[in-house]
Amino acid sequence: MTQPNVHRHDRRFGYAMIAPAVAIILFIGLFPLIWTLLVSVQNISMIDEDTSFQGLLNYQRLMSDTRFWEALGHTLMFTAVALPLELILGLALALLFLEELPGRPVFVALLVLPTVISPIVAGAAWRLLFDNRFGPINQVISWMAGEPVTILWLNDPNFVYAAILIAEVWQWTPFMFLLLFASLTNVDPSLSEAARIDGAGFWRTLWSIILPVIRPVIVIALLIRGLDLFRIFDVIWALTKGGPGTRTETISIYAYVQGFQQFETSYTAAMAFVIIVILTVLVMAALKRVEIAR
Amino acid sequence: MMQRRRFFEATAMAGALAALARPSFAAESAAKKAVEAAKQYAGTEISIVWEAGLQALDPLNFSGPLWEKETGIKVKVVEVPTSEMFTKILQEHRAGTGAYDALNVIPAWMPDLVRAGALEQLDEYVDKYGYRDELQDIAPVYRDNQMTVDGKIYGLPDDGDVFIMYYRTDILGDPEIQEAFKAKHGYDLPVPPKTWKEFDEVGALITEVTGGKPYGAAFIRDPAQGQFMFQERFRNEGGIFFDAETMKAQVNSPAGVKVFSDWVAENKWMPPGVETFGFVENLAAFLQGDTAMTLSWPPYGRWAAGYGTDEAALNWVPKSTIAGKVGYAVTPGGHPQLASGFALSVSASSANKEAAYLFIQWLNSRDISIQRVQLPFALRDPFREGHFTSEEYKSRWPEAPQYLAALQEAANTGILDLSILQTDRYEEAIRQGISRLWSGEDPQAILDDVAAQWDAVTERVGVDRQKAAYADWASKPNAYPPKA
Repeated sequence: MTQPNVHRHDRRFGYAMIAPAVAIILFIGLFPLIWTLLVSVQNISMIDEDTSFQGLLNYQRLMSDTRFWEALGHTLMFTAVALPLELILGLALALLFLEELPGRPVFVALLVLPTVISPIVAGAAWRLLFDNRFGPINQVISWMAGEPVTILWLNDPNFVYAAILIAEVWQWTPFMFLLLFASLTNVDPSLSEAARIDGAGFWRTLWSIILPVIRPVIVIALLIRGLDLFRIFDVIWALTKGGPGTRTETISIYAYVQGFQQFETSYTAAMAFVIIVILTVLVMAALKRVEIAR
Repeated sequence: MMQRRRFFEATAMAGALAALARPSFAAESAAKKAVEAAKQYAGTEISIVWEAGLQALDPLNFSGPLWEKETGIKVKVVEVPTSEMFTKILQEHRAGTGAYDALNVIPAWMPDLVRAGALEQLDEYVDKYGYRDELQDIAPVYRDNQMTVDGKIYGLPDDGDVFIMYYRTDILGDPEIQEAFKAKHGYDLPVPPKTWKEFDEVGALITEVTGGKPYGAAFIRDPAQGQFMFQERFRNEGGIFFDAETMKAQVNSPAGVKVFSDWVAENKWMPPGVETFGFVENLAAFLQGDTAMTLSWPPYGRWAAGYGTDEAALNWVPKSTIAGKVGYAVTPGGHPQLASGFALSVSASSANKEAAYLFIQWLNSRDISIQRVQLPFALRDPFREGHFTSEEYKSRWPEAPQYLAALQEAANTGILDLSILQTDRYEEAIRQGISRLWSGEDPQAILDDVAAQWDAVTERVGVDRQKAAYADWASKPNAYPPKA
């Protein structure tokens, strides 16, 4: 057997060995996508018998669906506000807990508790807290104001975003904290020590020494939370169901309403496909920007 | 010997004749017929979809165990929240798993479920098990409107849901308030108010005189249930849902705008935050004596009287502070909505259709239903003529006769939920509209959007198909209040 033949044989053997794994990955990853695409070009709804081919009609409808674009806008808004807030608060807490405080393990454990609660339960709990009649938040405000104060946290457009963001940030800041705290504990203390000896203040040390070291972890944390926020559903569903009107309706809520309340299966598939495309582009761009993909 | 032989022959003949005559079940009640026929399925299990929560305590605590004791058939109760029942029933039907045998169905869904093939036609069973006579005892408004689709039976009306007005007799009868009312409006305070104008004037004055202790009234403003109230009031104000010729939505007509505008105005003399009131919040406010009037489903009346609220299952219901001080009446406008309700159906994909049918016939029968509508912990409301006139029911609390009389009058004058093709999509647009109303948007602008959404749904369903469905629904005597 000649040398090139040996190489060809080895290559074929290698392909044969990885073929099952590749097939499974393709099946798991691509089949649902292809199926979604196929459904999106038909006219399937659970109510109607007509399931005929519709071409790009659902996509055309989606482009002119103002509710879809508004929902996308709300999603981006929640992401744009909550993500930096969670990062900043998580980082602040992580830096605070770097110091040897009495009872630190207990506080860390308590701090992490919100993250382990199911988001729908957290949303339900915050709904009770924000209740205008029996909720403690209005009661505390009333005591402070010295007169009865009725804030319709979940109905008034001036307060509803704040209410959702409070619940969301409360629940997921500890996740940021946990990741950043773990990475900060791995930063070599001699680096900050040296900077301090050279006269660098806290902010200078943070900006020039600590943040560059933990940057990969920050990027991963932002990516995970960013994707989560883009799919935000539970907490808003429990608090407002997307209301008042559709003012807090996110893309996931709109997809749920269309798919499981209005039974627009094909239209929802088109929506899901567009969301997948948008997310893929965003994630690829983010990964490329931070050079993790390489 | 011969005589003995003849005796056996005669006995055998009589038995055979009795067996032949058995399907007619001449003198037996429908409940007994169902039990006897169901015994052949002893040892099996049937499932029934039931609204989660209090409603499901009926089959869990009462009817399910009793049926098992009488027939040997186990009943598995599948509890589903109302908002998900339609979805689950359709999903199960599409999947064809046969997981559900019997169903609770909101009558407004029936046309959609029948067209999807999810419901079994029941005429054959009704005849086979001799149930037609007892069906005649169901109040006409439920029997004639919530049982059939295209003239075929698909559900047994099983819940007399209707909105009732509850008012505090002590407050509306208070001489000080009556005097203040006459001084302000120039006529005697009407007890109870019969029009929305009267209702608003009475409610606003009570709040003014008492300083909100109690408030004049409160309502369920939550969009999910508020949409029923919109449908009712819109039609009582003269509104028509669609132009019957063009099928263009008329929900943004002056009647619709008036309803929304009146709602916003009413909130000013109702408890702060009434915009967020759902079934429970509104109930709590009324039972605790915080409001003088309200509108809701029939259970409010029972609980306000303190009926059954000692039951463990009802420990979440606030203790009534107003027992003995509550009056019952038809809602202002005179045509309350038969909001929601339930009919019992058999799933088309069931593998136990006969047993499932027998169970729902038994549940719905005269003998069993009278017991079920008196269960204090369940939410089934009187729906048979015999329920309204039951002496046993009338003796449940001192004002029960007036309560039952109000329910019967409401059943006679009630108007139906809109029920056309894909009704929920139209209702969803109203729900969104109500939600926007509470965020401060302009009623006309909201309703213009709702109308545009309705037109878009109609286009998607097909104007001609929907026109036919609407014509069928609108031709029913209870679709709209009779023209004066």
